[in-house]
Amino acid sequence: MTDQGETGETVTILLVEDDAPTCWRLQDALVKAAYEVRTAGSLGEARSALAAGAPRVLLTDLRLPDGHGVELIRETRRRFPDTEIMVISALGDEESVISAITVGATGYLLKDAFPTDIATTVRDLVAGHSPISASIARFIVRRTQNSAEPPPGPVLNTAKLTPREIDILWGIAKGFSYAEIASHLGLSRQTVPGHIKNIYRKLEVHTRSEAVFEAVQQGLIKL
Amino acid sequence: MSEIAAKAPTRTRRRPFVSRLVPYLLLQALIVIATILGLRLLQPSDPEDFALSGFSLREDGTTRAVTLPHFTSSRYSLADPPLYAGTFTFRSGDAGWSVFLPRFSNAVEVAVNGVVVLDSRRDANANRQDRNTPQIAAIPSSLLHDGSNAITVRLFVWGPLKGFLDTVYVGPDAALRPAFETRTLLFVTLPVVFSAWQSILAVILAIMWLMRRHEPVYAVLAVAMVLGVVQAFVSPPVPPATPSRLAAVLLASAPTESALIVVFSVLFFGWRWPRYGALLFAPGLIVFVVGLIAGPPLPRILFLVLGIPTVGVCLLLMACVTAAAVVRRQDAASFTIGCAVTIVLTCWVHDMLSVFEIMPNERTFLSRLSYSAMLVAIGAGLTWRFARALNQVDSFAGQLVARVREAEERLKASFAREEARARAAALANERTRLMRDLHDGLGGQLISIVALSERGQEGATITDAARAALKDLRLVIDSMDDIGGDLMLALGSWRERAAMQLRPHDIALDWRVATPQGLPLHPELRPWHVIQIVRILDEAVTNAVKHAAARHIAVTIETHDDGQGPYGVISIADDGKGFALADEGMSQTARGLRNMRSRAARCGALLDLTSDASGVRVRLQLPQVFPDSDAAAG
Repeated sequence: MTDQGETGETVTILLVEDDAPTCWRLQDALVKAAYEVRTAGSLGEARSALAAGAPRVLLTDLRLPDGHGVELIRETRRRFPDTEIMVISALGDEESVISAITVGATGYLLKDAFPTDIATTVRDLVAGHSPISASIARFIVRRTQNSAEPPPGPVLNTAKLTPREIDILWGIAKGFSYAEIASHLGLSRQTVPGHIKNIYRKLEVHTRSEAVFEAVQQGLIKL
Repeated sequence: MSEIAAKAPTRTRRRPFVSRLVPYLLLQALIVIATILGLRLLQPSDPEDFALSGFSLREDGTTRAVTLPHFTSSRYSLADPPLYAGTFTFRSGDAGWSVFLPRFSNAVEVAVNGVVVLDSRRDANANRQDRNTPQIAAIPSSLLHDGSNAITVRLFVWGPLKGFLDTVYVGPDAALRPAFETRTLLFVTLPVVFSAWQSILAVILAIMWLMRRHEPVYAVLAVAMVLGVVQAFVSPPVPPATPSRLAAVLLASAPTESALIVVFSVLFFGWRWPRYGALLFAPGLIVFVVGLIAGPPLPRILFLVLGIPTVGVCLLLMACVTAAAVVRRQDAASFTIGCAVTIVLTCWVHDMLSVFEIMPNERTFLSRLSYSAMLVAIGAGLTWRFARALNQVDSFAGQLVARVREAEERLKASFAREEARARAAALANERTRLMRDLHDGLGGQLISIVALSERGQEGATITDAARAALKDLRLVIDSMDDIGGDLMLALGSWRERAAMQLRPHDIALDWRVATPQGLPLHPELRPWHVIQIVRILDEAVTNAVKHAAARHIAVTIETHDDGQGPYGVISIADDGKGFALADEGMSQTARGLRNMRSRAARCGALLDLTSDASGVRVRLQLPQVFPDSDAAAG
């Protein structure tokens, strides 16, 4: 299985994981799939690795010994918009995955996934498909329903989602396949992954300073 | 010792009584003095320059010189009225002379130089004894000549009081009129104003009584007020005009009116009306009956003898009642009415002194006029009482609101407690179930990992056990999520896990949902139901992987409705070699099957398992309503 980009260049991956066995396991799976993998065990190492150049894919754990992976994701998204960012999650818990999505992650990977699944997920991500699980879809859809008191967890700007996107999320939450969702909604099967990527992008919140910067750039605010 | 103890309470009871009564009585004495002084000060002054007091009186055929003011004897026949004759000096050049009579009773006819210029009998109200109506008349200039002019005054008296003629004034109209107008204002206009006020009070009281029938006090007072108004506005008959008997009787209603006022005060201060109290109405009734039966002058004599003392007695009773009320209640209403009674009583005594000629100069009756003080006091007292009642209603309403709020708070608190207890109980139940679940699944798997690693085992077995543990952990975490009764949401996650489990074994998972909506919603669905169902499905898939050597596993989700409400059916079919159900109870598969059955029973589902050479088919029929309690747990 060769998982190269369309240009034929080697896909570079920066893997940030502080637990050595997990790191080895993921690295093995990725190297076996012919990816070029650099590893970092901490936020600091990851930053210096990023300084050397942008990887095609950033795979990062959230709980790092010297900081939170969310910081790394935010920085990477800002500095290298073309880099695909994926969170490594132990249990696929929605809260941490979604807080990563809100700062720029577009996918997640379970630490115990089978090696072939690890490689497939990265390949799909590079190809422009974001993986999403039923429980994460459920989590996002719940946030689109206005409840009296905000549920605990990260703030999600779900107002931007279109009804179609919400329908797709519902379908995923209920275990329908992309094909089934597409046929229920009258879509082509290929458009569903694109919608999911869009959903991820829409959920990304910009930091306040970025919003101010953007406003100044667009001439909305005069300093 | 005991003597002192026995005396102590009476003394303490008497002391406030005395300490309240004495200042009150002193104050009333002050009011009496103030009233007398006030009457003196308010005495209308007449233009003394034009006073005529020297007259010759021809009475009963004899003529003698008299000085005005003068009383004549009481008489009932108008055939030969006393004639006062006098003279006054007129200087030509003075324009517009008038004759002014400040006070007389009962009626006068004034003639100047033999020509009648004034006859008060035409003005019926001028002839009432209790009004102190003045009269003025312009003397036509043609009648007057320089020097001495003759004036005669015929005084008509119809008893029972003596006839009275105050000083007569003759002079320029401009000099006399201010005095006349002052008297008119005091004794004519002011009583009309008070009567109007009294009639308004009567209407208000009548409405009060109509709205509050259980308070006769208002009705009594309203009747008294109506009597007073009628009395004020009824025209008295003037002899020799044919007297209307009813009018005469109504004029004599004062004792009835005052008796009613006594009744009012007794009721107003919350006393019980004594049985013999009705006697108070007897004089008024007697005057009334006699007045209807016999013609004058009998009713008038009776009124003088019975009526006026009754008024005095009533006033005294009122004074006592109000004094007692002041001592007992010490409220503004009783105090105001008490002071008003004192004023009226003082004026009544003044009138009596006037009648008995102890105060000879004046025959100005003030009782009627001072009665207005009482009206004001009663109006004020009623208003005070009304306002206080409103305040009481307000405070009562406030208390009610506060009490309701208190009760509400208590209810809320108890409700919150109850809710918290229920929540705690539910949480404890959930925790117990979860613990049992974790013990059965995750705990066992971790122990098996420990055992395997201690035996130095490596590779697949430990990996499988650890994966199973992780899968179980995900299952428990997933089932704890709020899925709002939509089992499809739990099945969606399960599908992902099953697909992940099957992928390394190259087993295809065919997932078919018969309806786009999936399964019916179950609001009563709880996490532990979800765990049981997902475990059953897990077991079915695990069996297919481990024992059946299947290549495909088909999961079908359908909704059926046999008329009693929809229910879901989940079927899992594999294309493996099946297994013999006969060896149940021996193998691990058999234990797994037993577990599946008991889990299905716990959440009210029906499990149907068939196995043949073409594969195993598990059919799980969900209940229409999931059971609340874990009845089949044992």
